[in-house]
Amino acid sequence: MDFLGEGLRRALALIVQGDAEVTGVVLLTLKVAVTATAIACTLGLPLGFFLATRPFWGRRAAFTLVNTALAFPTVVTGLLVFGLLSRRGPLGGLGWLYTWQAIAVGDVLIALPIAAALSAAAVQGVDPRIRRTAQTLGASAWRTAWAVAREARFALGAVITAAFGHVIAEIGSAMIVGGNIRGSTRTLTTAIALYTGQGEFGLALALGIILLVLALLVNVVLQVLQGKAHA
Amino acid sequence: MLELVGVRHRYDGRVVLDLARFEVPPGALIAMVGPNGSGKSTLLRLLALLEPPTEGEVRLDGRPVSGGPARARPDAALRRRVTLVEQRPILLRGTVRDNLGFGLRARGMRRADVNRVTEAVAARFGVTPLLERHRHELSEGEVQRVAVARALALEPEVLLLDEPVSSADRAAAQTLYGALAEERRRRPLAICLASHQLEDAYRWADDVRALADGKLSPVTPENLFRVELPAWVPGSGDLRHVRVGTVEIAVMTDKAGPAILAVPPTDIFVSREPLPSSARNVFAGRVTRLSRQRPGAVHVTADVGVELVAMVTEEAARDLQLAPGGPVVFAFKASAVRVF
Repeated sequence: MDFLGEGLRRALALIVQGDAEVTGVVLLTLKVAVTATAIACTLGLPLGFFLATRPFWGRRAAFTLVNTALAFPTVVTGLLVFGLLSRRGPLGGLGWLYTWQAIAVGDVLIALPIAAALSAAAVQGVDPRIRRTAQTLGASAWRTAWAVAREARFALGAVITAAFGHVIAEIGSAMIVGGNIRGSTRTLTTAIALYTGQGEFGLALALGIILLVLALLVNVVLQVLQGKAHA
Repeated sequence: MLELVGVRHRYDGRVVLDLARFEVPPGALIAMVGPNGSGKSTLLRLLALLEPPTEGEVRLDGRPVSGGPARARPDAALRRRVTLVEQRPILLRGTVRDNLGFGLRARGMRRADVNRVTEAVAARFGVTPLLERHRHELSEGEVQRVAVARALALEPEVLLLDEPVSSADRAAAQTLYGALAEERRRRPLAICLASHQLEDAYRWADDVRALADGKLSPVTPENLFRVELPAWVPGSGDLRHVRVGTVEIAVMTDKAGPAILAVPPTDIFVSREPLPSSARNVFAGRVTRLSRQRPGAVHVTADVGVELVAMVTEEAARDLQLAPGGPVVFAFKASAVRVF
């Protein structure tokens, strides 16, 4: 127990003192997570809406594909991105391997199926009369989608939270394509793994607490926004 | 003119609507009547351009706008010309004011104009006091009224109404129909409404059409019964007896299986006592309702083991001293029963 208690004390001290390394890791993690979530949701939400509302040949297969991608191991995603971005890969010319952009690409691929599958489920849960009503009042496809999205705002908010939660807690892909380089590609999760291995339990615990607090903050902010939207 | 041409619409392979032609002429008020599941709502959804017919096409002013060989797809501008108010309408998120202005904003109208039109239509439909309310603060009847006002704010050429008074009380129904009549006096507007209420259909519509099992009934909309005709028995001729409610109706037909029976109200002889005649169908019962829907004509509704409607002249109704609760006998020939 002393071991844990000591770790916790060290963690609190690091957080309160605003340790430069911890701050750097946190900021990088937030940059990667926010960028990846924004891109994944920008692509995934319309994709989910499309899957949920438009009948097309192969729709069922598309659903199966997206749902299967939900369970795709993140290390395999990391391997794929590594292959794409490595010097001999098709996107090697970008020079992104072992940069935060590479981690963001991996995270986008991880969060995209989450955004698409969960937003499709959210849209399917909206009363179909909303869409028909908007259409019969002469709304364009975008305005109709907006009317439906407003009805599903709580569920869509949860989709964004879930995508962010997955991305910020992801380690497999970040480790492979980021390389866990100090000051450059070290995120909260890769740092926790490293410091634990090095016996720096207090530091790892401090980062773990920050990770939890970040996840909590995102949920609280979302709930506050939803509360305002409901009022 | 809005029309369906050669439409056979299917759900899961089953034909739910089969209409060679269905027209909604400019300025007409058409009432569609028929039992639940007869295809009224499907018909309105096709006319509203919300789904294309599986076969056939929807035309607006002679131009295919939905379905057909070219698989025409309506755009938002076309949909604004034909607006549907569903049986259980739903208000979009926001206030009643937001809802009334939704279609206008979709059309790109300026905010000041949206407000002006919104307030004018709210006044016409008596929903001004509700303008700042949200959907959860409204009764079903109020939602229905707001939904009709929201549709008419767009000034469509055709308004489609699915059971517009199903959730409203009688007084609210009169208000709604009155407001629609006023709207039609104000500008050219065709209305096609689906209703269970024959009385309302006759009172307000210029043209009453009956739908049964997705087909237009060749006769008037009263006395339509969905039945299962027994198989033909050798030696029985074409005379069959079919159970409807608690009575057996004699019909002349060579058909078997699922069918619709229609007894035209004008083919029913009305008396106070059974009279000797060639009619194979003679049913005694009690008058449940008398309604004068056309000058000189009275609809006599009676429970004779099944609810039937007969039409008599006002003079005949007076001579027979017909009154709700009073005895009555309905008689009609087996050959008067239409089978389709």
